[in-house]
Amino acid sequence: MSLLEVTKVTKKFSGLVAVNEFSMTVEAGQIVGVIGPNGAGKTTLFNCIAGAFPPTSGSIIFNGQEVAGKKPYEICQFGITRTFQVVKPFASKSVLYNTMVGAFAQTQHLHEAEHIAIEVLQFLGLDHKKDIVSKSLTLPERKRLELARALATKPKLLLLDEVMAGLRPVEVTEMLPIIRKINETGVTIVIVEHIMQAIMNLSEKIYVVNFGKKIAEGDPDTVVADEEVIKAYLGDEYVVTQH
Amino acid sequence: MKQLLDQKPIVLLLSALLLGGLFILPLVITSPALMQIIILIVLYAYLTSTWNFVGGFAGVLPLGHSAFIGIGAYTSTVLMQTFGLSPWFGMIIGGLLAAMVGAAIGLPTLKLRGAYFALATIAIGEGMRVLFENVKQVGPFKINGPSGISLKLVESSFMDFQFDSKAPYYYIILIMLLLVLLLTYFMMNSKVGYYLAAGGEEPEAAEALGIKVARYKLIAMVISCFLAALGGTFYAQLMLYFYPKSILGLDLSFEIAFIALIGGRGTILGPVLGALLLRPVSELTRIYLGASLPGLHLIIFGLVLIMVMRYYPAGIVEPIRNLINKYIIEPFNKEKKSAEGSEADKAD
Repeated sequence: MSLLEVTKVTKKFSGLVAVNEFSMTVEAGQIVGVIGPNGAGKTTLFNCIAGAFPPTSGSIIFNGQEVAGKKPYEICQFGITRTFQVVKPFASKSVLYNTMVGAFAQTQHLHEAEHIAIEVLQFLGLDHKKDIVSKSLTLPERKRLELARALATKPKLLLLDEVMAGLRPVEVTEMLPIIRKINETGVTIVIVEHIMQAIMNLSEKIYVVNFGKKIAEGDPDTVVADEEVIKAYLGDEYVVTQH
Repeated sequence: MKQLLDQKPIVLLLSALLLGGLFILPLVITSPALMQIIILIVLYAYLTSTWNFVGGFAGVLPLGHSAFIGIGAYTSTVLMQTFGLSPWFGMIIGGLLAAMVGAAIGLPTLKLRGAYFALATIAIGEGMRVLFENVKQVGPFKINGPSGISLKLVESSFMDFQFDSKAPYYYIILIMLLLVLLLTYFMMNSKVGYYLAAGGEEPEAAEALGIKVARYKLIAMVISCFLAALGGTFYAQLMLYFYPKSILGLDLSFEIAFIALIGGRGTILGPVLGALLLRPVSELTRIYLGASLPGLHLIIFGLVLIMVMRYYPAGIVEPIRNLINKYIIEPFNKEKKSAEGSEADKAD
């Protein structure tokens, strides 16, 4: 049984079909990438899985349970935690405080939450910043804090929404091993990303979305050679010159 | 409790001295008028601390808290006037009633953000006042519309919550304040406190981390309304006379919000510092300018609020904390360090 099975999920906003009968399967332990041009519906798909809004139709089975239409906090309790494309730290609070909020998903006690949070921060190399107010962090640090908070909830599946967007190339190369390290601890990851190089590097399997529809799926090499994908990213004429 | 005592010794010592001072205060101050002013400072610190559960931690700005204070005052008073029930029991009943009303109001309104929640609570607070001004009697309970209720005077006794001297009132409200501050402390250092703060600051992110934000806000609202109503009963017993405009109006709601914002919302000591600063202003303007310029204190509050927000957006608790750190804790630590040689200072 797959960890996550998305079947024919559709999301309509009044007239607009943002996600159109999208299906995908994620096996436990994988890193799966979802790519597509701007406005392709990647984040909307994410929001449907994470419960931010219910899909118009279709089913999302996680760990054998139907989770489509559940509220975000219920989704998290099932074991799916997401990060946000636009980072949302609890700005007036310290890094440790932020991470402890996540850790309270696992425990009722303050000192245990602190213990879990510190472990996560050490794992991500943020522990030296633990007493810093999160609004004074740099963008790469905020992105890492976003990861720390999500990891502290001990998810089975981590949904990463453009964790690398806005980072400089050198910061991207720093982020890649962190994501791989998280995956190695047994956390399955679905990652939505713009930066092709990053996602090619990380993912075992890639889904390409355009205009809300899945246009290709497969391993990174197959996907980049796909005509539809090249069309979506570069335009029709490039398909011809390829041959 | 361990955490609470796990502070630097100098802080514990100063707190103990301060507490001791607070408890012997009525022995030193003999003027009932001055005592009354001090009692009101403590009462407002208490009321603002109860407000703080919602306004300070849940990330919304309630501007109609007098509704719950009024429910407390009216409930205990009419139960005593009609059935002779001790105000102590009436206080609890009033608290439960206010908690229920708070939950009923909170369910739809706590989903509102920013100014919309503030406006909704103003409407509810004002609506409550208009309602009480227009009703003379509910069943067997006389509430006398706009002229309010004078409490029957009885002999000084604890069960009747009436005393000849000011000291018992002072001790009662002081203990109520200390208990509510302790509760605030424990809440801030618990899962509920963390979840409330998270939900108040970034509700979307909080929900993604598994927090049912609406439920935690409702919990805060219910606790806050219950405790605010207890303060209402105290107000009634202290003043022995109240009317809708004195206890249900916007004036009281706004004054509480001003105290919290100026003192520092979302902190333990903010409401106390705010009350210490603003209550005397309020009393002095009432005494000296009350006849010619009623309501002047709210204008002064507004000016103070603008200044505080300009220079200390987190409230005056921030500079005061810095001063304490600089002049009390740091010099003490230095002494300790030089006395104990190279031993590292692990405190905090």
